[in-house]
Amino acid sequence: MTDAIAQPRIDLEATPAWNGWTRPGRATEVDIRLSADIATRATLEVAAGRQVVRANLDLEPGRVVRLQVPIESAEGVAVSAVSPAAPPQRRDVRIAQSESPVLGLGLVTGEPAQLDGFHTVALDADNLPRNALAYSSIDALILDEPTLGALDQRQLRALLVHAAECGRIVLLNADLPVRRVLDGSGGCGGRALMHATSLPVAVEMLKSSLAANSVLSTALPGIGELASPDLVTWNRVLVVLAAYFATATLAALFFSSFPVLLLAPALATVAVFGLLGAAPPLSQLVVWSEATSGAESARYQAWQRFPGLARGGMRVPVLQQLASARACDPNQPMRFDFDAGHGQASFAEFDTRLFRQVMLCYSGSFPVARAIAVEARPDGVLQVRNSGSIGWPAGVLLADGLVHQLRALGPGEGTIIPTRSGQPFRDALMRTALARTRSDGAAALWELELGGVADIPPQSKAWLLVSIPPS
Amino acid sequence: MSVAPAHRLDAITGLALAGAIAVWWLGSTRLALDHGSDASRCADEALQALLLVRVTALAIVGVRVGALRGWRPGLAAGMCLIAPSWPVVVLAWSAGTRSATNVALTEAMLLAGSVALPLIGLALHRLLRRTELAVLSGTLLGLAFAASAWAARGLWLMPSV
Repeated sequence: MTDAIAQPRIDLEATPAWNGWTRPGRATEVDIRLSADIATRATLEVAAGRQVVRANLDLEPGRVVRLQVPIESAEGVAVSAVSPAAPPQRRDVRIAQSESPVLGLGLVTGEPAQLDGFHTVALDADNLPRNALAYSSIDALILDEPTLGALDQRQLRALLVHAAECGRIVLLNADLPVRRVLDGSGGCGGRALMHATSLPVAVEMLKSSLAANSVLSTALPGIGELASPDLVTWNRVLVVLAAYFATATLAALFFSSFPVLLLAPALATVAVFGLLGAAPPLSQLVVWSEATSGAESARYQAWQRFPGLARGGMRVPVLQQLASARACDPNQPMRFDFDAGHGQASFAEFDTRLFRQVMLCYSGSFPVARAIAVEARPDGVLQVRNSGSIGWPAGVLLADGLVHQLRALGPGEGTIIPTRSGQPFRDALMRTALARTRSDGAAALWELELGGVADIPPQSKAWLLVSIPPS
Repeated sequence: MSVAPAHRLDAITGLALAGAIAVWWLGSTRLALDHGSDASRCADEALQALLLVRVTALAIVGVRVGALRGWRPGLAAGMCLIAPSWPVVVLAWSAGTRSATNVALTEAMLLAGSVALPLIGLALHRLLRRTELAVLSGTLLGLAFAASAWAARGLWLMPSV
């Protein structure tokens, strides 16, 4: 007699965003559809480069589970689904890597367009990603109204984040409400978001934007410019070794017995194993955000640094309120647990060792309401006014190569700052802020409170730089 | 020199060797951290240096003391030379890329050397029957071992098991 237990049949489909195009070193996305004819539990694994994303899924008959997984750029992506009751399924997704910048062309008319030096990729609405991170695969985008109208909520949200992150976008004949929404979220003073009435005009606008190069120069700074390395572990090891050598030298000076001389290093070795087995130092989060005065959103880049202690694997929770979590170093092997319900990674796992500092990167945008007007008066003072509807805390004003203290101001309030009261830049933070300020403009820098972010590491720092165009 | 001060001298020599390499390792690690580069390379180099200096010291001292004072004092001298580096070895292993097996085998080899080399010295003493000649031959043989260890250091530079 044979056991007639029905085996579930799992159907797996995987489609890359951007019609399978990306650029080397950029992130993209794979759209995965998974279904089964019998209720079963499956583990989905997406391996791209040195990073693996894993999700546990409950499959039910008649329901297609669809998830969009952000991945690092890799020519081959292996998508597999494993269920204890079904034979494993595997799909290999090929992703073409363009050496030239990529122009995404989402036109229902299928009209061709060419931009010098760019590789054009024709798109339909479904080729656009749901993760803002995947927009790093393209360098410019032209979308017409029907394609824009066919985007779902998650695609629109990703597009808005891309616009806030200064992505170069041209919209063809967009409706007024859509224009308002996108204009409000456009970063870099809205210079990267353009509207055109025809394709030739759109191409000309992109050419002018590229010639001005006003957007590409705004890549966010690196963590090295903002925070010094975490030396807690190094200090611990220094203290332990200093204590050991002092004790062992004293033992050698005062005892000549062979067992005593051997006991000191043996005990110290045990103590070192104890040190390595102790809890590793807490992670450190650094957030740098930028906005233009009066803009509705600020874009941010965040780095969460995990200092290693003992050799072995480390499993850390991903901060859920920060978007687009990924390994900062694409060469760092890392495994992510993907929460299919929320559509984002929940845990990250990686190998670490003493003195190794593995970093998770996050990026995205958040709403902001800071409007600041600065007027340089001929009598050598700066008239600063809070022209927004919300007050701001005390910060610093960067103008004419000097740092001025900026006091907290309520809506409509103003203050006078003598230009002579400015101090020269001394620390790396101010130098970074100055480097990102237009020479003919000014900027205000505030340290942000991250109290609203859950599970925030205690040693966290965040800044918001608001650039003020010349009046 | 009596046995007790000799132990003391060997232990202080072992500590000095380990301390010098620890200072160099921590310094280069600090520089690597400040520059955001990989600190594991410094740790692997520190392990390599710890091995080479201890092999050299052990080869010279083990055979010589074995020839001069016998196997037990030779063993004690060797242990006093290699043991002070153990805490540094564990830390450098934890910071480096070499496998635990590789490092454990290296330490086991050093321990085996501290057992075997005094026996060679003792055998020389019995063979030559003259202490001065045995000590001189033991020292020369130890130098030859040390030189061959340096020449064969590439073996330890191979990728770890």
